[in-house]
Amino acid sequence: MPRYDAIVIGARCAGASTGMLLARQGHRVLVLDRSSFPSDVISTHFLWPHGTSYLNRWGLLDQVLAVTPSHTEVTFVNDGIPLTGSVPDELLRAYFRDWHGDDSGVVRTYASVRRHVLDQMLVEAASKAGAEVRTNFTVRELITEGDQVVGVRGRDSDGQLVEERARIVIGADGRNSFVARTLGLPKFDERPRCTFAYWSYYSGFDLGPAQLHRRGRLACAVAPTNHDQNMVLVWGPSEWSREFRRDVSGNFQRALDFVSPELGEVVRTQGVRAERVYGTLDQSAFLRPLAGPGWVLVGDAESAKDQCTAIGMTHAFRGAELVADALGRWFSGDVSLEAAMASYEGRRRSQNAAAYYDYVCTLAEMRPYRHDELQLFVALRGNQQEIDRFVATHADVAPVSEFFQASNLLLLNDAAKETSAGYPVFEDYPGTARMYQQNLFA
Amino acid sequence: MSLPELDQRDDDELIGTILAAAGRQDLEAMAAAAAEVSEMTRNWATHIPWDEFDSLDETALNEVVADLTQMWEPVDLQVDADEEYALDKNAYDFYRPAGRNLMTRTEEFHGWVEARRRTETWQYSRTLEAAPNSIAQITNDIGRRTRGINFNSQDYLSFNTHPAIREAATRAMRDYGPHSAGSPMVLGNTRISDELEASLGELVRAEQVTLFPTGWAAGFGAMAGLVRQEDHVLIDRLAHSCLQQGARATTRNVVRYEHLNVEAVRRHLVDIRRRDSRNGILVVTDGLFSVDADWPDLVTLQRVCREHDATLLVDVAHDLGSMGPGGTGVLGLQEVLGDIDIVMGAFSKTFCSNGGFVASASPALKQYLKMFGGSHFFSNALSPVQTAVVLEASKIIRSAEGDLLRSRLHSAVTALRDELTGHGLTCMGEPSPIVPLLIGNEKLARIANRLLFDRGVLAFMVEFPVTPTGSSRFRLQVQANHEPEEARAAARIIADAITDARTYLSSAFGSTER
Repeated sequence: MPRYDAIVIGARCAGASTGMLLARQGHRVLVLDRSSFPSDVISTHFLWPHGTSYLNRWGLLDQVLAVTPSHTEVTFVNDGIPLTGSVPDELLRAYFRDWHGDDSGVVRTYASVRRHVLDQMLVEAASKAGAEVRTNFTVRELITEGDQVVGVRGRDSDGQLVEERARIVIGADGRNSFVARTLGLPKFDERPRCTFAYWSYYSGFDLGPAQLHRRGRLACAVAPTNHDQNMVLVWGPSEWSREFRRDVSGNFQRALDFVSPELGEVVRTQGVRAERVYGTLDQSAFLRPLAGPGWVLVGDAESAKDQCTAIGMTHAFRGAELVADALGRWFSGDVSLEAAMASYEGRRRSQNAAAYYDYVCTLAEMRPYRHDELQLFVALRGNQQEIDRFVATHADVAPVSEFFQASNLLLLNDAAKETSAGYPVFEDYPGTARMYQQNLFA
Repeated sequence: MSLPELDQRDDDELIGTILAAAGRQDLEAMAAAAAEVSEMTRNWATHIPWDEFDSLDETALNEVVADLTQMWEPVDLQVDADEEYALDKNAYDFYRPAGRNLMTRTEEFHGWVEARRRTETWQYSRTLEAAPNSIAQITNDIGRRTRGINFNSQDYLSFNTHPAIREAATRAMRDYGPHSAGSPMVLGNTRISDELEASLGELVRAEQVTLFPTGWAAGFGAMAGLVRQEDHVLIDRLAHSCLQQGARATTRNVVRYEHLNVEAVRRHLVDIRRRDSRNGILVVTDGLFSVDADWPDLVTLQRVCREHDATLLVDVAHDLGSMGPGGTGVLGLQEVLGDIDIVMGAFSKTFCSNGGFVASASPALKQYLKMFGGSHFFSNALSPVQTAVVLEASKIIRSAEGDLLRSRLHSAVTALRDELTGHGLTCMGEPSPIVPLLIGNEKLARIANRLLFDRGVLAFMVEFPVTPTGSSRFRLQVQANHEPEEARAAARIIADAITDARTYLSSAFGSTER
C-alpha cells in the first residue's frame, strides 16, 4: 500500500482545491508545488458567481471577501451598446444541481481576487483539511511501473531528492503541465487563434462593478480587486501582438482610448499604476486526455482556453469538485477507477462543454462583432431577464444551446424595446467594419 | 507587491533579451534577464527552467528557445480559409444583414453558402435521381452523384412505391386531372376531399377536419386563425418551425417553455391567469418531436390546460400513421384519442403527399379556421392526386397491412438504434421512425456528413437553426422497406464516418449532452 492515496502536483486553484476536498473526505493526500506561497501567477483572477459559490460551499468565501471587493452586476459595452446584468439565482442553482447534485452555498456575487491572496488561502485550507502540502518542491520525474504512474521523484525545499508514491497522481499543474509533458500527452481540439492580453494594477479611482468593453477587434476590462486597486486589462487578436509589443505602455493606453474613451480618460488622468505591465499570448485552446493508468488531470492541465471570458479559475474549481467526487467514490470502493474516470470524462467532454469551448474560442478570435450580433445586443436592451441569461451563458452557468437557439433568438428580436437608431456603429456599418480590420498598432 | 515592481522591465522586453542572448549562446545574459522576469510569468511557465539558464546544455538550450518562442510569438496560421469560414459560422450569423438594399445585403450569406458548398459541407438541396426507396440515388448541390442506404427521405411506411397508392394517384389523375383549380373555400375540393376529411376524423377521433395545402400551412394557419394580439401562446421551445412562426406572427405574449416540461406549463398558466382572466391561451406542442424523437405527457398536459381555460394544440405530423395502435400515433399510445382540443398534422411523413390538416370536435372551430386561417382560404386546395393518395394511405394505415408495415418499420428502427448504440453512439429519444443520432459540435457533424456522402449512406445532418447551437445531429428517418441488416450495415458506416471525422478534426469531445 503506497503512503498516499493521492499526490497532487500543483497547489493553486485546481490542485489545492482538489487536495483539500480529498483530504476532507479523509484520504491521505500530498500536495506539491514548486512555488512558495503567497506568490503570483499569470491570471485574469476573476471568479464568476459559480466560482465564488464553490468557495462558499467549501467555507472559504468569507475569508476571501474580507479582503476582496465583490459585486453582483456586471456591465458589457459592445460597440457602444451597454448591457448591465447579473447571473440569476435560479440558473446558478440549476447549475449546481446539474453538475454536483446539490445547490448548497450559492451566492450571486463575483470577485476579482489576486492570486497571491487566493492561492495562499487555498493552500492553507488544504493543509487545515489534513493534506500534507510541500512547497518549493520541484517534481523531476514520474515514477512508473510498466505504463502505470505510481509516484513522483523530485527535489524538496532543502534540495534533497525525494520519492513519494500514491494510488493516483493528479496533474493540477496548469497549461504547461509537467505531468502532461512528461507523459507525452497529445493535444486535441487545438485552436491556435487566441488573444494577446496585457494588464496592470491601478489605484486612484473607483468605478464600482466590473466593466467589459469591446470595440472592433479590441477589448478592455476594469475590475476592482484587492489592495484598493483595479485590474485594467486590454486584449486583442494575437495577430496584432507583434505590433502591440513595440510600445507596450503606449499601446496599452491607445487600446483603452480606442475601446472606451471614457475609461481611457479615467486611467490616464486618475490612475496610479502600481506594478509593471504584464502580458501573455500563451492562450491557445486545447484539450488533453483526462486520465490514464495512475494519473488524472484537472484544471488548465486538461483543458485550457483563452482568457477572454475569464472562466479558468471557476472551471478549475468545478474540475476539483468533479475529480474529488469521482476519486472519492473509487477510494471508498464504490466504483472502479475506470468507471470513476468515465463519469468525470463524460461531464468534461460533453456536448455542452463543447459548445462553450466553441463559444470561447470564437470570441477569442476577436473578429469585429457582426451586424447580427450587434442587433441582438440592441434587442436585449431593456429585456432584463434575457440580459441576465446572456450573462449566465457567457459565464458558462447556463448552456450555450439554451440561449443560442433559433426560436429564442427570433423571439428576442421580436421583443426588442429599442431600435438601432441611437447607436452610431450602425450608421455606416460596412465602413466601420472595414476600419475595424486595420491594426491599430501598425 | 511592493512599489519597486513598477520600475522593473516588462516581461516582453526581458524575454526578447533572453531570446536574443540565446541566439548568441550567452547563457549568463540569459540568466540575468531571467532573474528579472516577473513571478507571474515564472509561475505560469513552469516548464521553463528559469533558474538554470546558466547551466543549460545545447539540447536544453534549444528546448528553452523553442518553448519561449512558442509562448511569445503569435502562431503563423496555415489554414484552409474556405473550410475555416465554412465550419465557423452558423446560419443565424446572417439573419440580420447590414444595409438598406434588400437585394445586395443577401450577398454575404451567399458567400458563406458558397464556402460551405466548395468544401462539401452543405447538407441542403440534394436532388433525387429516382424514387426514394430504402436505397436512393441522389445528386448533391454541386452535382456529385452517390447511391446509398436512404435515411434522407420521409416516407415511413414506404408508400411511395406501394402499388395501391400509385393506383389511387393514377385513378385521380384520370378522373379529375392534375389541378384542383381553386381554393377549398371556392371550388377546389372534390368528393374525395370529403372522404379524406371523414377518414382522418375517424383516425384521430376528432371528426371536424380541415385540409391545408401543406403541413406548414396547417400549423401556421391554425395559430393565425385562433390567436389574437392580446392572447397568449405557451409553446414547447422545440416545437416545429411553423408553430414557432405562428406564435410570433400572432401575439407578443409568447412563452417558450422547457421541452416537455408539463410542470413548467402549469406554472406559466397560473402566472398568466393571475394577470389575465380575459384572453385566450393556446398551449402548443408536437406529438413526436421531429429531431428529438420524444413526446410529452399529453394526459397531464390536456388536464392542466383545462384547469386553466387554456386550449391545447398537438402537432402529430411525425407519429400519426407510423406509430401507435392502428396508426393512431402518440395520441393512441397515450389513450387520449378524442380527448385533445386540437390535433394538427402533416401528410408528408407517412401519408405520401404534401398537405396537412387540423382536427377537433367542434364544427364552429372548423368554420372559423377555414375563414380566418389564411392558408386554407387563400391557397389552392390539395390537388386531386394528392388527396386520393392521402385517402388511400389513411385506409392502409388503419388496415391489417398497416400493422404489418409498422411492425417492419419498428424492426428496422430497433436494428438501427441497437447497432448505433453498440458503437458507443447516442440515439436520442424513444424508438420511432425518427432516429436522432447525437453529434453535438457543428464542425464534427459537418465533416462527418461530408465523409458519409461517399460511403453509401444518405442521412440528413441537422444543425442550427433546426437544433440549438452545439447540438447538431443526424436525423435518420427509417422506412418500412428498410431491412434490419441494411439498417445495421448503415449504422456501422455512420459510426466509422464519425470516428474518422473526429480524427480529422483531432477532437476529444464526446456527445453526451451534459
